[in-house]
Amino acid sequence: MELSFPSELGYEVVARDAVAAFARCVGIDKNRIEDIKTALSEACINAIEHGNQFDANLRVMVTCKHNGDHLTVEVRDQGMKEYTAGGKPLTIEEKLAGLGPLRGMGLMLITELSDGAEFVPVSQGNCFRLTFSVLQPAICHHS
Amino acid sequence: MNDKTLKGEPVERVVELSLPSKLGYERVAMDAASSLANRMGFHPDRVEALKTAIGEAVTNAIEHGNQHDEAMKVIVLLTAREGELIVNVEDEGKKILDHSMIAREPDIAPKYQPGHVDRGGWGIWLIRELMDEVQITTAPGGGNLVRMVIHLEK
Repeated sequence: MELSFPSELGYEVVARDAVAAFARCVGIDKNRIEDIKTALSEACINAIEHGNQFDANLRVMVTCKHNGDHLTVEVRDQGMKEYTAGGKPLTIEEKLAGLGPLRGMGLMLITELSDGAEFVPVSQGNCFRLTFSVLQPAICHHS
Repeated sequence: MNDKTLKGEPVERVVELSLPSKLGYERVAMDAASSLANRMGFHPDRVEALKTAIGEAVTNAIEHGNQHDEAMKVIVLLTAREGELIVNVEDEGKKILDHSMIAREPDIAPKYQPGHVDRGGWGIWLIRELMDEVQITTAPGGGNLVRMVIHLEK
């Protein structure tokens, strides 16, 4: 499944709901789907904010593949700015102690919720790949 | 959302979906459209109507247009404009629908004759009942194209 949308905050919800429907279709556990939704939303917001710098004329592309025991989701932007995490992220406790801004937790959250999260090289823009293990057999329920 | 460009033209925001031709995946289109329609402020009843119409259109594209060929794609474009949502559902046209056979009213009586198994054939009628505008044409790429418009009632 492929989906693309304009770089405007709020559209990550459309992507989130589409990918959640895809995940249900291939039989992923509902609790795991909540993890996928949260991680995907964070990745899309990063693409909108950092990669595409809020330019609504640029697109965010989401690709979703299921190979039996893994769900792989790629989030690509059109790369106004190369996204770099900027060193080791602060912990929640460090942030609450005032050692850094309260924002910027996205990558840490994504890493915690997924089984694999990495930037992969592409010719233009940023491509962030998320991998989730899938324990359930693939089942697709027709509406 | 800003609904006008600096030149005063309506802003279009397009969400594009590409789905494999496998029954069940129509739910992805239904949920994406529902999410966008909620964001645009459609009444929940209208969102349900939209979901039903898109579900029928994508199912038709999978079953009839692409003949269940999973390698063929169904493309769904959701275009958000000021006051309306336009939905295009396009298949790859393994089978081109005979437009003269797309009846405005389903022929119900034969479907309830003893031995008649196929209860289908209601999809297009349902789409027309639920959406404000419906056009069924052949797309430039040769596939079947269903264009539906639903207006945002203030």
